[in-house]
Amino acid sequence: MESTHDVLVVGAGCAGMRAAIEAHDAGANVGVISKLHPTRSHSGAAEGGINAALGNVKEDSPEIHTFDTVKGSDYLGDQDAIEIFCREAPADIYQLENWGAFFSRLDDGRLAQRPFGAAGSPRTVYAADITGHVLIQVLYEQLVKRDIAVYEEYFAWKLVENDDRCQGVICWDLLNGGVKTLGGKTVVLATGGQGRIYRTTTNAYACTGDGTAMALHLGLPLKDMEFMQFHPTTLYPTGILLTEGCRGEGAYLINSEGERFMKRYAPNAMELASRDVVSRSEQTEIDEGRGINGSVLLDMRHLGAERIIERLPGSRELSMTFAGIDPIYDPVPVRPGAHYHMGGVETGNDGETELTGLYAAGEVACVSVHGANRLGGNSLMETITFGRRSGRAAAEWALSHTTIDVPRSVEADAERELRSLLDNAEGERPWQIRNDLGTSMLENFGVFRREEQMARQIEIIEELRERYERGVVIEDKGDIFNSDLVQAIELGNMLDLAACMLQAGIARKESRGAHARPYDYPERDDVNFMKHSISRWVNGGPELSYSPVRYTKYDPMERTY
Amino acid sequence: MAMQVGLKVWRYNSRSGERELQEYEISAPEEATLLDCLDIVKDQHDGTLAYRKSCRMMICGSCGMRMDGAAVLACKTRMYDVAQAGHVPVISAMGNLPIVKDLVVDMEPFWEKFRSVDPFLQPGYDEPPDGKEYRISQQRMNVIHKEALCINCGCCVSECNAMEADPLFTGPQALAKAMRFVGDPRDGNKIARLEKLNGEHGIWECTRCYFCNERCPKGVDPRDAIAKLGAESMHEGIDRDMGAKHARWFVVSAKTTGWLRETELVPKTQGIVSAIKQTRFALDLARKGKVPPPFPPHVAKDVKESRRLHDLTQHGPQGFMGIVQGERALARLAHGHTGEETLEEIYDRPGAFHRPYLPDEVPAGSEGGQGSLTQADVTPGEKPTKKPGGGA
Repeated sequence: MESTHDVLVVGAGCAGMRAAIEAHDAGANVGVISKLHPTRSHSGAAEGGINAALGNVKEDSPEIHTFDTVKGSDYLGDQDAIEIFCREAPADIYQLENWGAFFSRLDDGRLAQRPFGAAGSPRTVYAADITGHVLIQVLYEQLVKRDIAVYEEYFAWKLVENDDRCQGVICWDLLNGGVKTLGGKTVVLATGGQGRIYRTTTNAYACTGDGTAMALHLGLPLKDMEFMQFHPTTLYPTGILLTEGCRGEGAYLINSEGERFMKRYAPNAMELASRDVVSRSEQTEIDEGRGINGSVLLDMRHLGAERIIERLPGSRELSMTFAGIDPIYDPVPVRPGAHYHMGGVETGNDGETELTGLYAAGEVACVSVHGANRLGGNSLMETITFGRRSGRAAAEWALSHTTIDVPRSVEADAERELRSLLDNAEGERPWQIRNDLGTSMLENFGVFRREEQMARQIEIIEELRERYERGVVIEDKGDIFNSDLVQAIELGNMLDLAACMLQAGIARKESRGAHARPYDYPERDDVNFMKHSISRWVNGGPELSYSPVRYTKYDPMERTY
Repeated sequence: MAMQVGLKVWRYNSRSGERELQEYEISAPEEATLLDCLDIVKDQHDGTLAYRKSCRMMICGSCGMRMDGAAVLACKTRMYDVAQAGHVPVISAMGNLPIVKDLVVDMEPFWEKFRSVDPFLQPGYDEPPDGKEYRISQQRMNVIHKEALCINCGCCVSECNAMEADPLFTGPQALAKAMRFVGDPRDGNKIARLEKLNGEHGIWECTRCYFCNERCPKGVDPRDAIAKLGAESMHEGIDRDMGAKHARWFVVSAKTTGWLRETELVPKTQGIVSAIKQTRFALDLARKGKVPPPFPPHVAKDVKESRRLHDLTQHGPQGFMGIVQGERALARLAHGHTGEETLEEIYDRPGAFHRPYLPDEVPAGSEGGQGSLTQADVTPGEKPTKKPGGGA
């Protein structure tokens, strides 16, 4: 073994770093594993903000936040988790501010809050439109302050299960090469999302669902895998995110005629309806021929130059760089793009999973706070609140136990498996499979889902998995910074996760949140489908079952905005 | 639409020491960035090429590298114009950092310097009221807005001339990060920070070449941050360093005679003893007419104006608050926007897109003329779409 720690955190985005800090402060010896340097993590690309009911701008309360989140989740969120989340969020925000987070301010010096979609009050704390960047920086600063060990550019590949406990992580050292095994009394997964399964996504190249796949392959349950959120405003043609904060600041969505079409779909909330609603409205406009190049337009002109430059400088820079459009003068072409995966590794409210010693937090996990649809600004908050809770729980368990035992054979097996992957000379290069997966997922499992397309996609994924199993060729045979190898492993993970998504999706015969089937099951079906989908990996394929939603006091109602 | 892009990439293997300039010719979409092009090379032409990447939207800071010798973020660099010009750029790893493989550098020296400035808030005695947030105005926070934009990509460090001369120089990124805390009203450790930054390899080692400002892809302007640190140091009376004395002499000289009195600059900066040791060098210079005689002092004709200017600077804000951002920096923040047009003028510009309207309103100018669809708005080969019939 390379070394051991009380707590190993896999992933160094907001959730991972927050977990590491909390575990350290609880007295544990912590090691953080990340395939990127921590500040390169994709949490940093979050733009618009982070939700907590501070009530700094207008009256607000954790109860209203809870109601909005439950409703936003289309009643698939677990209500006890959402109550904890909304109650604990404000103190977590003050903590971040006290650590030095560079948040935007009100005239009286308190934290500013902006309106976000489907929120009953302006609740989103922000730092212009670089909120994620600011959080990543402040968390990394706190990591450095505590001198927490970081295994940078270590690609975590397998979890070590021994004695019915998770006791370590097997990694590939990207910079120097070689299999490295790290032992931990507990392991916190915080590896983020899997948006790269889709061709048009706001997600970074790194968002390949590594942690979700590691848990799946260990036999652990994944929850609600069919729910992939499509963000309404991703830039044409690259899929780069333009924040909901644009609409929070008052931007319009218009079709090719200049009509603010959201009035027809969500007459009250308009552009600030829930993300699933806005994405479907846009897709309808595009499908019915009122789009331009498969896009609608985000019009900020009326906000004025000053407001755009002060509040949305990053969005303006992105528009100018990647679309060649200055939003002060022209509307920006946007379309729905894969953005956030509501599903993930099933966890309890302290991040605990089915396997003793293994925890998960952030986008990799499914607590579930977001249910069938996540509200903008809730994901950053989830990373902090549940990152903290997981870090605390992992540290407490680790400190009350002493042993770490990773059998040598585990590392030897991994080494052999990697070498055979590296040595394989027959087959195709992985990129074509990756492109085929991304393109077909976008086409067949996107904003709207049709039975026959999903059935076709299941076949496609099966074909792609066969192609992958037949062997992919890694051209780089060297040890130093072999990203060719890592990308091939990531692709294998994504293929398996996509299979879970489709199986859960075609079986959910209703429309709920991000899972929209307008052609055969246009309504939500609370009688038959008010339940979580559970996916397990059995005999080389996904197996589907269900589990109940946890209720407290919010009865399902019709969802209008 | 596809375009042909040529790239010459400096390949390097730190284990074997092999180094080679390899040329690639690829087909890429017209909107492709340098990063997209490298991806095409890696996928379809040469899987052994190594470079870092992640967000592809200029926020993670992974893909710093050099194109034709200048540091860029690969994801921010559009290749259309380069390809159209038929130019084949040379792509290489960033400077001032050891190369690991191809375009991947060892960032550890970078992070070591980052850590050396204690890059975390050290709160003072003032605690926020009621256990909530510190109360600070937006204007006060704006002082460190640019420094807070830094994504740690290393482009500034790559281009730093001072660091090339002294690899131990703290460098533009770490100093900008330091300014982020020196300028933060919540930080209680400003003086100790400034003392440290005034030490060896600190702020006064910067040669003011402005390459860091020039190359920073995020508009952080590290050189301006270093200037702020210098100004704040002197404002707080931390001025023992030769760099500080050098800067101070410029001010004294401008105030008293209106000219820079170079002859006195050396003793004023280095001190008398050190200056005497350079007498021979000074005499050589004098012999060649490079040193004006110190007496009588050469007083500028309009010295009064110079003095008035000096007095003016004594009234405004002091320390880092007194550093005026360069016009170029301000222009970059606003992307050259002047903000003169009214909304009506923006809507009425030739070729402007339709005014937005609600479904129950009559769209302004919808019948022909402005606001109607032109062929340019739609996919080539397709008909312009019809206006939807009324509202809901």
